[in-house]
Amino acid sequence: MAETQLTNEEFFTQLAGLFSKSQEKQHGSIFLTQKRFTYSADSAPSSPVKVADDPLWDLHPENPLPVIVRATNGKSKEKRAGKVKLSTVVQPDALETFYARYAEVCKAGMQALKKRDRSKRKKDKAKKRKTGGEGEKKG
Amino acid sequence: MPYFTTSQEWFHQSSLLLQARPTTTRITSKYTISSSTSSATARRKRKAQARASDTTADANTSDTTISTTPAPSSQPAGPKATLTLKTFDPESGVCLKYQTTKAAEVGRLIASLGKLGRGMAGLAELAEDATMVDAPPTEQGPGLSTPVSDAAGKEAKPGASETKAAPQAGGGGGKKRKKGKK
Repeated sequence: MAETQLTNEEFFTQLAGLFSKSQEKQHGSIFLTQKRFTYSADSAPSSPVKVADDPLWDLHPENPLPVIVRATNGKSKEKRAGKVKLSTVVQPDALETFYARYAEVCKAGMQALKKRDRSKRKKDKAKKRKTGGEGEKKG
Repeated sequence: MPYFTTSQEWFHQSSLLLQARPTTTRITSKYTISSSTSSATARRKRKAQARASDTTADANTSDTTISTTPAPSSQPAGPKATLTLKTFDPESGVCLKYQTTKAAEVGRLIASLGKLGRGMAGLAELAEDATMVDAPPTEQGPGLSTPVSDAAGKEAKPGASETKAAPQAGGGGGKKRKKGKK
């Protein structure tokens, strides 16, 4: 991999940048991937070692493993020059805080999704008032 | 490839898959904005018109073509964004997908990604498992393709299990069997 791993914090800042860029353009995709991180740069093999005679070798690792999270804007082929690739490794004890921040960044970044339709609820309320508080309960 | 109709169902199946194959399974979330003014939509419209004029030339059932032409133009204006979650295990070929267009779901979906992330890390599931119970908003926007219908949910399940079963003929170690062994 050409890119070096980012720290979790750097990853979030750059991911926010990626989201705002797509928001400006009103076009494009962002891919976010998460996967168990089993690669180690050292000569020591990664911790769940594949055991040939046990098909369930990876189900119960003795130590919790980190998770790698990647983000790209999906530019490939002739547009590869504009490709942005981000990746970060999340340690198992940092998962909770990471996903809390991740949710914040994604919620802030995915602005083009449909907002909750408030107008309909208002209409329902008005209808309810007319019928004297009867009718099905919403929300 | 069938999509699950509810995020709960997607989450449930994904967590089962992760339990079976925690090392090879990956979860990809794709966030796409496609603006309706883009050239792609224009091309699509032009194509639809061309097709409509073709059918009028071929057959003289003009009333059917009239009914088909307003359909593309009735699409809502403004950019359309979707969020697609995909759980994929390349070893067995299992692919589980869920798609939404609602911003209200993002928080819940990322939370479930976090829970699945715990499974990936090899950590035990959190004790309180009731987080997914707060159901999606009961109100559905007009024209949404995600109204929760039980029939559709049941339909999606056998389709998904078929995709699971098929590529595993040579690979060995089906998901269901593994679960039983454990």
